[in-house]
Amino acid sequence: MVRLSRRAPCKWGRKALNRPTLEISGLCKRFGGIVVADHLNLVIGGGEIVGLIGPNGAGKTSVFNLITGFVSADAGAISINEQRIDRLPAHARARAGVARTWQNARIFTSLSVFDNLLIGARDYPGATLFNNIFRRGALLQARATQGDRAEQILKRIHLTDKAEVFASELSFGQQKLLAIGRALMNNGPCLLLDEPMAGVAGHIHETIGEVIRAEAAAGTAVCLVEHNVGFVRELCHRGVFMFAGKVMADGPVDQLLEDPRLTELYFGTKPVKDLPLVGVLT
Amino acid sequence: MLSAPILLQLLWTGLAMSSAYCLFAVAFALVLKVNQVWNFAQPALFIAAYYSMYAAWQGAGLPTWVGLALSLAVTVFLAALLEWYGFRVFRNRRSASLTFFIFTMVVSQLAVSLAELFVGTDARALQSSVMSPIHLVGVVAISEWDLLALATTAVLMLALWLLMSFTRFGKQMTAVADNPELAALYGINVSRCYLHSMMLAALLVMAGAYFIGTKAAIVPSSPLNQFLIFAVIAALIAGIGRVFAAGVAAVALSLFQAFSILVIPSRWQIMLVYILIFVCILLFPQGVRRNPRRLAAVEPAPVSQTSVPQP
Amino acid sequence: MIEYLSVLAAMALINVVLAVSFNLVLGYGGLVSIAHPIFFALGAYASGLLARDLGMPVPLAILAGGAIAMISSFALSVPALRVSGDYMVITSLGFQLALVHIITNVEFTGAAGGLTGIPSAFEGPIRGQLGLFAIAVFAIACVAIVRWLMHGPYGRAVTAMRNDEQALESLGRSPMAIKVMLFAMACGMAGVVGGFYAHHFLYLTPEQFGTFASTALLTMVVVGGAATTWGPVLGAILITLLPEAIRFLDMPISVMAPAQGVMFSVLVLIFMYLRPQGLLGGARAGGGVSSWYGSRAERRVNGGVKP
Repeated sequence: MVRLSRRAPCKWGRKALNRPTLEISGLCKRFGGIVVADHLNLVIGGGEIVGLIGPNGAGKTSVFNLITGFVSADAGAISINEQRIDRLPAHARARAGVARTWQNARIFTSLSVFDNLLIGARDYPGATLFNNIFRRGALLQARATQGDRAEQILKRIHLTDKAEVFASELSFGQQKLLAIGRALMNNGPCLLLDEPMAGVAGHIHETIGEVIRAEAAAGTAVCLVEHNVGFVRELCHRGVFMFAGKVMADGPVDQLLEDPRLTELYFGTKPVKDLPLVGVLT
Repeated sequence: MLSAPILLQLLWTGLAMSSAYCLFAVAFALVLKVNQVWNFAQPALFIAAYYSMYAAWQGAGLPTWVGLALSLAVTVFLAALLEWYGFRVFRNRRSASLTFFIFTMVVSQLAVSLAELFVGTDARALQSSVMSPIHLVGVVAISEWDLLALATTAVLMLALWLLMSFTRFGKQMTAVADNPELAALYGINVSRCYLHSMMLAALLVMAGAYFIGTKAAIVPSSPLNQFLIFAVIAALIAGIGRVFAAGVAAVALSLFQAFSILVIPSRWQIMLVYILIFVCILLFPQGVRRNPRRLAAVEPAPVSQTSVPQP
Repeated sequence: MIEYLSVLAAMALINVVLAVSFNLVLGYGGLVSIAHPIFFALGAYASGLLARDLGMPVPLAILAGGAIAMISSFALSVPALRVSGDYMVITSLGFQLALVHIITNVEFTGAAGGLTGIPSAFEGPIRGQLGLFAIAVFAIACVAIVRWLMHGPYGRAVTAMRNDEQALESLGRSPMAIKVMLFAMACGMAGVVGGFYAHHFLYLTPEQFGTFASTALLTMVVVGGAATTWGPVLGAILITLLPEAIRFLDMPISVMAPAQGVMFSVLVLIFMYLRPQGLLGGARAGGGVSSWYGSRAERRVNGGVKP
């Protein structure tokens, strides 16, 4: 079992720490003829907000699935704070501190908002029969600490008044907020958000942005997949452009967005083979 | 004991039995592929086919062809009912697979109970005498019946293959199997394809029931306890989506069971089948040859997409 | 008459435990296991044999039977759940049929003739009432334990698992571990009540534990209401009494058994179509699962009355 320490508050503000939080090297995965990851390399430091952009089918969500362990890679290494996690099953990777959200929110509809948060805690002792029967004390203690943390997160996502409402009754935007809050309960060094803004109305945009910035400020490595380019520009320190399972470009967002070759790739006006692979720009 | 004539005879026995098992396996695999349903209600189709033939021949004394036609009609009708009023309803409700499992199992149990109620728990064969002319080919005794069974199965398999590969009917089913939403967008009537595949499965099951019942007597619980498990193991070994491979797997299983008599007393032979399920689950959960195309289907898809599944 | 009612009550209480434990598997775990009666059988046969042939005291034998059932459950759950819950149906069917076949064909279990000479749990003139009392206490304890467990943090985790397994996995919980342990607990319960059954009725035959019993259990849970505390209790009582209601029609046993089979199957189908949540299932459903009644939200909405 990989035990990783909680990421320390970053003393240098939003700059990356010397040690990369999330490091992917040589990641490969193919499904028959479809290559979703082609010797992928990616490094994200604590406190960075990195945006994964690229056309549909580029492999962005697949990268998240590969990192979190829902798809097992054919080859390559994934590390969190220099500890390898690629051999661990999905739930163990979450316990190692990789939290993620899904495109469709996927909150628990039969539970209340507050319960959704409680169950997000990385160590949820109530999930085993052993703890329920033999370690009631630890259970109650965890409930108290996790309950406090859940309440703090509720405040940050502005859902305090909805705490005892069933998650199925929330609007879609609120559900996505809840999903992010649930991921925050993990309290881990790495946060992966899959299209957090998709399908979400105006004011919730701001809340999500605030939450992401706050997490990065506290030293979490944040990676988002996002189609909303404006949002990426506004929020992300760095952008990573993916196409057909490869990283085509990696650098400051503005530079990426101004590159005409990438625009053509995005809109598909030029054949891929005519484009040289752009290296890492930072 | 292990002489060539005995081995050859066992080979033939295994092959002869395999015709029915092949048909059941292919029927099961077809519904699994196209309708995406583990059709544990297949024993109900068997019972409908078997006992309608029994009623026609042993009960009413009708001529062979009438009995066959009647049985085919009854089985196909039941299959259509299962799809239209069963699977379709639960599919529209976006029910979890749990629901389909319970539904199909209970339908089978209902069929077995009904059969036991009306026909009793005695073993019954479809014909009063199960003898047929036997020819000696070299050292192996080959009955005409076995030949007929094998020939019919081969013809049916060929016909199915031609149907699936070259007719619009078959290709539509394959398209629906791959991606129902996309098929619908291309104008394919998905519900009708589901119906067609179930009806084809009914035809195959009926043929299999005929070959089993004209060779030996069975009890109502056999289709559930024995034939279904065979079909499922064959489908598992072949891999989900590979219909004809399931047929081949069924033949292999049948041969395996036939040869096992050399080492296992007959009353324990059935245990082999049960043990085989565990072996399959442990060793080949995705099928024997890892089909890369099917691995894409393993890629986890979100359970609750836009709307929430109903019970 | 008293004797008849006493037997009926004992069967009803035993069915309550079986239904409550099967509900753990099906309603909470979301697993369609055909094999639940076989764990009942394992507990019954193990307890009976240990007491009869090894002279073990009855209470100890009953517990040992439960332990054997619980440990055997791993032989089914671990292989079957390794990949996905889809394989549980066919694997449990195979497991059930295999074990019934073994019991029927092996000498030391009494084979098809059945196991006789099982020592009774109690002696004396009121042994029947004492036995009934013991079973009742155990049944109440089971219901109470399940209710307590499912109201607490465990229930929260299990409900989340039923809503969306992968999402739960992404939070750091292993759905497979939860299912395997839930399954073990349920099978342990069934095993212990099997021991009670053996030492009360003193006679076991393998045909009592076949697929007919699986259908009966399924009916109890589906009709009563899956994933509720009292649903399986109600279902168990109804399904125990229902065949008695038609007993007075005086049909031969060869007709009675399949008639019951038909009745149960039809009931399950009716409920699946018209009222899938069962008689006591919550009206509110999310993801095919009723809302978690341990949550404060449920109390706020439904005024504190728990199903």
